[in-house]
Amino acid sequence: MVVLIVERAKPGLRGELSRWMIEPRAGVFVGRISALVRDCLWEKVCREVGDGGAIMIYGAQTEQGFAIQTFGETRREIVDYEGLFLVRRRLDG
Amino acid sequence: MDNLRSLPKFRDGLSYLYLEHCRIDQCDKSVSFHDKDGETPVPAASVAVLMLGPGTSITQAAIRALADNNTLVIWCGEENVRFYAWGTGGTRSARAILEQARLASDDQLRLQVVHRMYRMRFDERLDADMDIQQLRGKEGMRVRAAYRRASAESGVPWSGRNYDRGSWSAADPVNRALSAANSCLYGLCHAAILSSGFSPALGFIHTGKQLSFVYDIADLYKAEITIPVAFQAAKDGPADIERRVRLACRDLFRETQLLKRIIPDIFAALGLRELADEEDPYAEDAAKPADLWDPTGGDGEGLSDRLI
Repeated sequence: MVVLIVERAKPGLRGELSRWMIEPRAGVFVGRISALVRDCLWEKVCREVGDGGAIMIYGAQTEQGFAIQTFGETRREIVDYEGLFLVRRRLDG
Repeated sequence: MDNLRSLPKFRDGLSYLYLEHCRIDQCDKSVSFHDKDGETPVPAASVAVLMLGPGTSITQAAIRALADNNTLVIWCGEENVRFYAWGTGGTRSARAILEQARLASDDQLRLQVVHRMYRMRFDERLDADMDIQQLRGKEGMRVRAAYRRASAESGVPWSGRNYDRGSWSAADPVNRALSAANSCLYGLCHAAILSSGFSPALGFIHTGKQLSFVYDIADLYKAEITIPVAFQAAKDGPADIERRVRLACRDLFRETQLLKRIIPDIFAALGLRELADEEDPYAEDAAKPADLWDPTGGDGEGLSDRLI
């Protein structure tokens, strides 16, 4: 399963994503797509999200059972702790 | 946390998290660590071992939350190569440690456990009548062969296991890598032992130290996991080797499904049956006094009520 969350994305991009996945909340996309389609969609998102942000989470053979990819600037950042993905909330300023 | 049954099983958890130079406290009911970059919550209930390196400080509230969640906390040296202290694991029944004590204090029963432990390390069948010296000799040969094989596969020369504890950085890279990998493995075995209610001190092959049983269990996996990992890491040079070894350990722990295997292996080595959740009479209530011992065979049930 793939979960893709876009922030501040244009309606065109969201419309295109909803061809492949459902959008249960604004900007949140969920679906079961192949690795090839997933990677193509991710490239598209990175190209077209502009100054917005995106995060993608999908099942993978890791200890946590999933992998994470992020794009763009957000206050929360994904940190890789020796193979363990944790979320860091950055200090203001 | 009142009921241990709601905790994730050890086998389903994440193996370890190593932290240094940060402050760990409780934040909005989660355990978080703070460093110069920001605040990072830790999924405490699913991490088996939290390793605290140099420059860490931790609050009482965080320790309480970690203990509630059955996370073993160990305090260790730089790059996790010295072991200073540990916290507590989460089990309330004493059945496992009582069985372990019974097996460890009878020479005949103890010998059977030692036999089983040596046998578990070999793929091929061994003669049942091999004595302990023969088993030990065979195991020594197997370990030396594992070093030779890892050396040949990685191209890293091997001149024996040696390091000067007074001067850590003087050891050759592969020996440093072995120490780092082994201490990762020890942490995990230690957590499994405490998590299933055994004592780390009551060893069978090893004896006399607080961690004797940890060494017994970790030895089951060294030829399979830490020796190959250490040589592969040493192949890529000495820079940053301890961290790279820990990373490689995480991958191999997952590939070999180590977390799923340790506790069943401990029970198998001791020839004991694992207790099902509903067989732990103390899981529901931490404050319930335990039963009283009665040498005439009564189970003491009901007596403990009088003590409340």
